[in-house]
Amino acid sequence: MGSDTAASGHPRPVGVSRRWALGTLATGAVASLAGCAAPVWQGFGFDAVRPAADDELLVTLWGTAAERRAFTALADGFRARTGVAVRLQAVPFSRRGTTVDTGIRAGAPPDVFRVTYNDVGLYRDAGVLAPLPDAAALRPAFAEQFWAAVSDPTGAAYAVPHHTDTTMLLVDTAAAQAAGLGPLPADPEGAWDWDRFVDACRRLAALRPGRAATAVNWQSDGAYRWLNWVDQADGRLLTPTLDGALRPPDAGLRAALDLTRRLFAEGLVPRSTSTSGGVTTDELFTAGTVATAFVANFSLGDLEGAPAWTAVPLPRAARASADLGGNALAATAGPRTEQAHAFLRWCVTPENMAAFCSAASALPTRTDVPAAALRYPTAPDAMARYVAQAATVRRPLVEQVTVPRAAAVTAELGDGLERAFLGDPATPTADLAEAIAGSVDRAVRR
Amino acid sequence: MSAVTAIRRHGSAWAMLAPVLVVVAVFVAYPLIGAVATSLTRDSGLGDARGVGLANYGELAGDPVFWRATANTVGLTVLLVPLVLGSGLGIALLLRRLTRGRALLQAVFLAPYVVSGVVVALLGRTVFDENVGVVNRALRGVGLDGVPWQSSPTAAGLSVLVVLVWARSGLAVVVYLAALADAPRGQLEAAELDGAGPWARLWHVLLPHLRPTTVFLAVVVVVETFRTFDVVYVMTGGGPQHATELLVTYSYAQGFDARAQGYGTAIGLVVLAVVGLGTALWWRVQARTEDTAVVER
Repeated sequence: MGSDTAASGHPRPVGVSRRWALGTLATGAVASLAGCAAPVWQGFGFDAVRPAADDELLVTLWGTAAERRAFTALADGFRARTGVAVRLQAVPFSRRGTTVDTGIRAGAPPDVFRVTYNDVGLYRDAGVLAPLPDAAALRPAFAEQFWAAVSDPTGAAYAVPHHTDTTMLLVDTAAAQAAGLGPLPADPEGAWDWDRFVDACRRLAALRPGRAATAVNWQSDGAYRWLNWVDQADGRLLTPTLDGALRPPDAGLRAALDLTRRLFAEGLVPRSTSTSGGVTTDELFTAGTVATAFVANFSLGDLEGAPAWTAVPLPRAARASADLGGNALAATAGPRTEQAHAFLRWCVTPENMAAFCSAASALPTRTDVPAAALRYPTAPDAMARYVAQAATVRRPLVEQVTVPRAAAVTAELGDGLERAFLGDPATPTADLAEAIAGSVDRAVRR
Repeated sequence: MSAVTAIRRHGSAWAMLAPVLVVVAVFVAYPLIGAVATSLTRDSGLGDARGVGLANYGELAGDPVFWRATANTVGLTVLLVPLVLGSGLGIALLLRRLTRGRALLQAVFLAPYVVSGVVVALLGRTVFDENVGVVNRALRGVGLDGVPWQSSPTAAGLSVLVVLVWARSGLAVVVYLAALADAPRGQLEAAELDGAGPWARLWHVLLPHLRPTTVFLAVVVVVETFRTFDVVYVMTGGGPQHATELLVTYSYAQGFDARAQGYGTAIGLVVLAVVGLGTALWWRVQARTEDTAVVER
């Protein structure tokens, strides 16, 4: 840049005047803001950011590579059958909520999204889901507990139960033999009762001094899985009308709390596996830290290097009961709701459900999916047992874990359980149970 | 002064400021006003939020976890500031003597500060995991009991503190090294001639010289401690029993895990207020320090 000399005698830059610089700056600022105008203003009527064409369904989902491939197959099949294109938007599991919620708040929700059963009530309550017009026709094909997970008390359904996941107890086969546990149970009817389960844990702990016997998967926002134990003991956390916590807590809840506290007090589970623990049970099992672990079916593929294991049904008390895992597919109310509902129906045909579950190591929610149609590439024998275990998921439990305030209930439950597990062992269980019920009650009614 | 004159006189200044003001308005003021509004509601993040006035702030006052998180945050700050500054200064004093490899060592110490906090936390988790961590494996390898890094409140807090000191000290090392390069050599030599030992020279010459740097670093560490999230979230999840819960992690847990976004935002605004007050205090101390320095010269 050169310069000349002004009348004052001071050198003056040439080529770039202040006015020119300001103008350029202003233009640049306007251009920059224009560049980001679409995402900023998408909630105010500008639909420019919508990535899919008007005749395209936008489906937001998360999943493993195998699940994404299975969704791609579903989308391709739907297009071939109906001519409607489907755009799949895959997001990390941790960002599922913010992605969908942001779209909803901005007025540009996905047409279809994958949603955990625990969250269906939240979205239903917010009025963003389009109820299924043909729910009555679809309902008979599904197991009632899974249909209940996507329905409101009036019977209207707001999603389709795409698949389920549940938990079983994986047992180190050699350790079980060495501990003299005898023949391991294979089906929920023959499951160990609680006393037998605790006895098995004590034997395994005695066999491996210094190491815990088992680990339960109630970490990582999984505190709701503790309610299996309550349901097994014929208890409840929430009232039958789901408008608060049962107070005082019933005998089943107190029994479940007493038993699970005992696991910590006796050192049968690692103390780091409380509800705020960051470790996963399949990691502990694979590392040999524990001889048994409560592991969900979707983690079976991660057990590389683990000792030879057997999948054993969850312990039972008054009855067998298992946790509700898995995901639904929901359609939002919008201009493409009809096509979105058609896509949901397509995803849950018996053939497509069987293909998806086989590819994703998931469990079917329909009752008419033949066992022979489920071709699991990993641990097929164990997966057959998981299918049987999923049949013990019970409607009363499902209703409690799918209330609109389920996230807050789980958070409060996790806090209360951690106090019970790691706090003063002398605190009476009844007091801890009442504290849990009190905080959950406030969370539900908030 | 006529309007035209005023525009001529101040117009350029406002025009120059305009882009920044627009950015601040869009990315700071607007979200901040939105946050204040959200904190006055019951909001699940979906559907219509319900206005509740100051109820969220009232609940905070009676929430034992909030007070636990506040005490933890303040306690962590009180511990972390002297530890980070002390280790940073100590390492810087050792490094300034080096003539070869100093740049490399500076980079090594700064690395944990500049890499993602999640990476640092995962490394911390690898070292301090109660079941399969490096430390406990080593302890068990020599026949000792492992430390309950995740299930004991004290051990969990200690593991977080160690990782944070490691992660934050790098900045202090680099900043102190820069300040030491400008150390008053004449005073140091005179003190040495007068028989002052290394500790006396450090205490009476170097530390007064480093005071503005120390104030700056202290404020930076305080602000960063109040914003600490990733290390705690990954290493302990705030547990056990909220023993390592900080205000920011509690805000996240309420806003996203429990979907109480109004309540979570209220916690966030409390953090903002505290950090704002701290920053204002810093400006006052900084101004006083500079005034004193001018008088001393």
